[in-house]
Amino acid sequence: MIFGDKKTGVIVTGATGHQGAFHIALMNEYAKNVGGTGVVAGVTPGKAGQEVHGVPVYNSVRDALNEHDASAGVLFVPGFAAGDSIMECAGAGLSLVVAITEHIPVHDTMRAISYAKMNDCNVIGPNCPGLLSPGEIKLGIMPAQLFSRGHIGVISRSGTLTYEIVDELTRAGLGQSTVVGIGGDPVIGQTFTDVLAKFSDDQKTKAVVIIGEVGGALEEEGAKATDIPIVAYIAGISAPPEKRMGHAGAIIEGGEGDARSKIERLKAMGVQVASRPSEVPRLIHHLI
Amino acid sequence: MKILEYEAKKVLGESGITIPEGVLIRTPDELTAHLPSLPDNVVLKAQVDVGGRGKAGGVLMADKTNAVETAKDLFSRMIKNTPVKEVLVEERLDIIHEYYLSIAIDRSTRQVLILFADAGGVEIEKVAKEDPAAIRRASLPLIMHDVPAFMVRDLLGNAPKELGPVINRLYHVFVKKDALLAEINPLVTTPRGVIAADAKLIIDDNSLKRQGITVNRDLSDREREAERFGFSYVELEGTIGVIGNGAGLTMSTLDLIEYYGGRAANFLDVGGGAEQERVMNAVRLVSSVPSVKAIVVNLLGGITRCDEVAKGIISAGISQPVIVRLAGTNEEEGRKLLSDKGYQMPDTMEQVVKVAVEMTR
Repeated sequence: MIFGDKKTGVIVTGATGHQGAFHIALMNEYAKNVGGTGVVAGVTPGKAGQEVHGVPVYNSVRDALNEHDASAGVLFVPGFAAGDSIMECAGAGLSLVVAITEHIPVHDTMRAISYAKMNDCNVIGPNCPGLLSPGEIKLGIMPAQLFSRGHIGVISRSGTLTYEIVDELTRAGLGQSTVVGIGGDPVIGQTFTDVLAKFSDDQKTKAVVIIGEVGGALEEEGAKATDIPIVAYIAGISAPPEKRMGHAGAIIEGGEGDARSKIERLKAMGVQVASRPSEVPRLIHHLI
Repeated sequence: MKILEYEAKKVLGESGITIPEGVLIRTPDELTAHLPSLPDNVVLKAQVDVGGRGKAGGVLMADKTNAVETAKDLFSRMIKNTPVKEVLVEERLDIIHEYYLSIAIDRSTRQVLILFADAGGVEIEKVAKEDPAAIRRASLPLIMHDVPAFMVRDLLGNAPKELGPVINRLYHVFVKKDALLAEINPLVTTPRGVIAADAKLIIDDNSLKRQGITVNRDLSDREREAERFGFSYVELEGTIGVIGNGAGLTMSTLDLIEYYGGRAANFLDVGGGAEQERVMNAVRLVSSVPSVKAIVVNLLGGITRCDEVAKGIISAGISQPVIVRLAGTNEEEGRKLLSDKGYQMPDTMEQVVKVAVEMTR
């Protein structure tokens, strides 16, 4: 398990919005079931003094940290304000920020990630479902009922496709150590390389599933840099060139980032690549 | 969103980069009035958003005597199926040497990447493949105000120093315009200085609003309608319509269709939240393409309310068959609503896809 445990205190920004409030309730329900700390405070500028499902709301992250212990932030603020919110969390001293928000201008993301790095803060996302370590902690919006405790790490650029594959793993009796959605945007804080390095140091994780998409070369870079056993699934083999597939991250770059050549490059490195999501558990069984 | 050449050049011109003298016309007759102020030799460039424009006949040479005739010819052409509505008429440049300059985003380092090469023009991709070292690179974090002088020196190598200021000006355009790509190819030296002979600018779709752009021209009418509903939508050439939630799951559904020998006609990502009306609009939009013979709905997620999805599918009232895979809350209720109306609901996404491929074969 990586990026936090039962003891991790969580602050949610954009707490009073529809999404923020809904997921504070779900995260705290999960924390209650596993005996964890959960969300200790919410932040929405101008809404100090309110409560969201029993969680006190503050005007700023700094105000919240004056009253509560927390090391992780989860963002539900709108796209235009999300870069700012990442920087606020990092500047106030949080060591992990999970940015659920989609449609963030990519320049905002780049500036926020640079600033967070200078403050020793890891950013997961943006445009991601967050992370879940079964039995320990849920940071974000992943549907907990599909997960089970075990020794498989999962890293994914997608949201719902992650749930699909986690469901396949759980049905096959392969529990998960931590499942991380790193986000579908072209620029993201934690890449496959970063998260694989953390899994590599994690005693609980024996093998990792990486779920990639057309576009970029982050999957290959990650596979090259790690020694932990990997199974990959890459979506978008039927994607037409130069078409946007919902995520900006799925823009095909000059024929290099297409799914087929990405799969070939991974196979050349000795990575097992599943041709369908349902093949993933069988390939994992082969590895461990 | 891609900006057309004449618009990109206007932006570069405002930043202090020299651009060719020229005029934009929307009919051949408009050129007549501009003729006296134009140089003897001109080049006419169709303002269309297609790659390989020159090879496809979108760029024509002319002189004062035949410029209007040439414009008539160009306006009557289709450039890779795109009609010519605007033409940029420019001076023909007296080129000493062509260079390549572009600024883009490097996903791996999460920084800005500047590329410069001594050989510009249409062959730059060939250069990239055959002699990657010929393209010099520098990367810097977007929080920098300027490109440091040492990077400019590294990028230029032995190229003339007068090219240096263009690098910084293009970087400022890149930052100010929320660009994903700012490219000058070729950047040329001429007897009267350094000139951006062609220009390309792509603006981040997530920044269009703050850039004052209200209509995303890259989208077709159906794509724009989809965007209005908050869907992302892409059209393909097969017979199966696909509706999913999340880009990855939707793409994976498409891949499975291909795996089982079918072809998708289009796909729509409904995004987060699947209330009755959203689902109804999605089903109607996907079914409005005449080639769609069957529709696959693949919705998965802890917070997707299956009863809402079922009501949305039923109320769309379309003629094509809809095959549904649903997982989420109120699953039983949703399944009952659909099965009462006779919809097919296999358990897994593979089974859903198999049924649809069989139906459309």
